[in-house]
Amino acid sequence: MTHQSHAYHMVKPSPWPLTGALSALLMTSGLAMWFHFHSMTLLMLGLLTNTLTMYQWWRDVTRESTYQGHHTPPVQKGLRYGMILFITSEVFFFAGFFWAFYHSSLAPTPQLGGHWPPTGITPLNPLEVPLLNTSVLLASGVSITWAHHSLMENNRNQMIQALLITILLGLYFTLLQASEYFEAPFTISDGIYGSTFFVATGFHGLHVIIGSTFLTICFIRQLMFHFTSKHHFGFEAAAWYWHFVDVVWLFLYVSIYWWGS
Amino acid sequence: MLRNLLALRQIGQRTISTASRRHFKNKVPEKQKLFQEDDEIPLYLKGGVADALLYRATMILTVGGKAFGMFEGTAYAIYELAVASFPKKQE
Repeated sequence: MTHQSHAYHMVKPSPWPLTGALSALLMTSGLAMWFHFHSMTLLMLGLLTNTLTMYQWWRDVTRESTYQGHHTPPVQKGLRYGMILFITSEVFFFAGFFWAFYHSSLAPTPQLGGHWPPTGITPLNPLEVPLLNTSVLLASGVSITWAHHSLMENNRNQMIQALLITILLGLYFTLLQASEYFEAPFTISDGIYGSTFFVATGFHGLHVIIGSTFLTICFIRQLMFHFTSKHHFGFEAAAWYWHFVDVVWLFLYVSIYWWGS
Repeated sequence: MLRNLLALRQIGQRTISTASRRHFKNKVPEKQKLFQEDDEIPLYLKGGVADALLYRATMILTVGGKAFGMFEGTAYAIYELAVASFPKKQE
């Protein structure tokens, strides 16, 4: 049996890129069917196959790393670059929505009454639930750092506790924001204010859910002894993503909730 | 009865391991052995029967779903064309 003489990971063929691409096709055409023909079958099928693909693809990554040892230091370096580049692309994604918000709010048109917030809009009080949400996410940033340090110091129980606290805070944020959405006196169709508010905060909320899911996977992996004090990149990637989500919220809070009210 | 209570307390303390309160055992070495076996089985099927079932289900749903979607989409397109070909006059 021949062995490689280099430290890099030559990934074996896998069916998940194909099923992922097919699931993307099903999701997009499913959206079209839902919007225009009132049928949700294709969309649901797309979401299901997308979830199946993600589960199996990332399960295989865990198998390649924790069980087969392919994630050598150079490989890990590449993964770090990859995660940083991905998060950077997400920064640009949100930059677009902030651009839209500032474009409309810095020079409010006569149709809006010439001021921001526009006529007829009662913005949410930034010192109520939005401020609580800010403290919740900031606290979760502290707890995830605690979890990381506990992990590096081989303190298993504390790591599990701190990570659990982080996840619970993330869930609390999501629930609070959901109730805010329900109670808000304006909707997404209330002019440019509604559009910028709900699209920006909505995508942020989606990223909180994604981040919380990533953290939960890390929690399960920690329970299963996958992480060592020296090698736990999956957790670091989740932590970076979580801090990114926190920072986006801070920008949202200062720009839309506070300055924009 | 107090002695029984004290005994119970001692047992409770004994069962809590230092690893974790939930008695998770470290199964990583076993998994490492399983996934490093030199048996030519591809990684996405190497875990066992559940892998094969999940793989088959995913393939059937995606490829079948694509076929269904193309059929549904084509059917709807033809339906809409038919509706458009015979304009209804509202009385």
